[in-house]
Amino acid sequence: MSLEINDVSLLLGDGDQQVKALDHVSATVQPGELIAVAGPSGAGKSSLLAVCGGLRQPTSGTVSIGGTRISSMSPADLTRVRREKIGFVFQLSNLVPALTSLDQLLMLVHLQGRRPNKADREHARALLDEVGMSHRADRRPNQLSGGERQRVGIARALMTSPEIMLVDEPTSMLDHNRGHAIVELLAARCRDHGVATLMVTHDRGMLDAASRVFNILDGKLSEAV
Amino acid sequence: MFIAIRDLRFAWGRFLLMAVVVALVAFLTTLLSGLASGLVKNNISGLEQLDFTHLAFEYGNKPSYRNSLIERDMWEGWRELQGVEELEPLGHSTFNARLLDNTSLDDVVLWGIEPGSFLEPDVLEGEQLGNVENGVIISELLVERGLKLGDTFKLDRALTELKVIGVVQELNIGHVPIVYTPIRKWQEATYGPPGYDGSEKLPDVLFDYATLIAMKLDSSVTDEAIAEMDMEMGTLTVDRPGAYIASTGYREEIMTVQMIQGFLLVISAVVIGAFFTVWTIQRTQEIGLVKALGASNGYLMRDALGQVVILMLVGAALGVAVALRLGVIFVEGGFPFAMEYSAAAAMAGLLIAAGLIGSALSVGLITRVDPIIALGAQK
Repeated sequence: MSLEINDVSLLLGDGDQQVKALDHVSATVQPGELIAVAGPSGAGKSSLLAVCGGLRQPTSGTVSIGGTRISSMSPADLTRVRREKIGFVFQLSNLVPALTSLDQLLMLVHLQGRRPNKADREHARALLDEVGMSHRADRRPNQLSGGERQRVGIARALMTSPEIMLVDEPTSMLDHNRGHAIVELLAARCRDHGVATLMVTHDRGMLDAASRVFNILDGKLSEAV
Repeated sequence: MFIAIRDLRFAWGRFLLMAVVVALVAFLTTLLSGLASGLVKNNISGLEQLDFTHLAFEYGNKPSYRNSLIERDMWEGWRELQGVEELEPLGHSTFNARLLDNTSLDDVVLWGIEPGSFLEPDVLEGEQLGNVENGVIISELLVERGLKLGDTFKLDRALTELKVIGVVQELNIGHVPIVYTPIRKWQEATYGPPGYDGSEKLPDVLFDYATLIAMKLDSSVTDEAIAEMDMEMGTLTVDRPGAYIASTGYREEIMTVQMIQGFLLVISAVVIGAFFTVWTIQRTQEIGLVKALGASNGYLMRDALGQVVILMLVGAALGVAVALRLGVIFVEGGFPFAMEYSAAAAMAGLLIAAGLIGSALSVGLITRVDPIIALGAQK
């Protein structure tokens, strides 16, 4: 199950204000692979994630997840794709404030229209254990440090056994050592779970754990050598 | 409801404050409508107690207790109608009553009725009409004004002294207490010459008049049949609600009650709407996040409506319960408070509906949150 981005362009705004957020971008991410995309802010990193995550439709080109083209789906179908096939890791603290770490994961089961059963709970606890957060399972986000929240975020992204994982600036609010630990953890998790992972970051110090590295500038993607 | 319930628990302080506001609105709504409907019931308690289905007034634009005049031919004519179970003429007139030492008892309504007929209420103490010359039965309200069983009093127009032989529960019409007298005595007092003391014989014709006809019709009597009789007899027949509305002030009081309830419902809708709008706007980031994770609009809207219903249920139940408890204390203290449990429950239901309508806007806001805000820098 891979993520395929084929000749994607995204135009934002209109008239004189029109900006080419993505300019004929192509890339393929294989299962178990962590691709890092580095670039300064405004280079098109968020646009790339938005298009891959079905949050924006590309102006031209196609995005496919595991061979299924998502770039022409209806909003309702895209919601379902996000729920079932995509794991998101957002920037710091993008957890639901009212939920404990365990509930952050179980919420995804509810979003699929089921009540979490015993297997779901065990799965969630195992994932929290994998990211070293099983001792914080009943804490809410406001009781967690930045690094801990990011670990819960990674566990949550893996909860639905997604085909691809999209990671947005996972280290933006962390110091270098903690940031590094998070990226290492991400790389290990996506390898173990066989998830095709696309991570964007502006922090060039975080790239060594990635399988491959791309640079993005003015909406153009190029593989770093 | 997974997130909604945990939101309630997490932000319990905010929701508690809001539940208290809902409770206050529910409390006010219940208490004020209880007091108002107590007032309304107080107006027409004499009619409510009366076991009739229809009242026939003299034909006119609208039924009037004050101006109606019915002749014997008319009530005898009505008696011929198929389906009349009971029928009696009733005399209605307002007098100023005084004790013999000229202490005013204020206005009373003198109702002339056939003793022993279905129009005569059961006395709480004393005896029924018929055996005592010039004996009357009085509404309990007059006891509060200083009249007792065995007292005599007079009406300002007639000199005949009336003797209190029985007391009934508080029965009023237009908030004025009713004095029940045999219809012959009523005819003397109403149509006799001023200052008539009962010593001379009055012309027979005076005894052929009353104010209205009280009737018990069985269900076989159609509206068409009634209209036909009205045409023939020159009467205007109304059912029970019509009889209530004809009582002075009743329509206005009902409108007041409904207006109070309407305003409170609108206030409640606005307050709840404002709260949930602010709450939703505060949660925009969280809503965007959950949508990015794959929550549908429907899921989030059900969650939000669930929160509204829980909040309104708790608040309304609390407010109504406190108001009903206070209402019991009011009743014990003699205030006119009337609220049936079904009416209170209906009121609470309306409040919840108002809350849902008020929060419709905030629920609508949920659909407009773009999940893309989950990406990028935190606000």
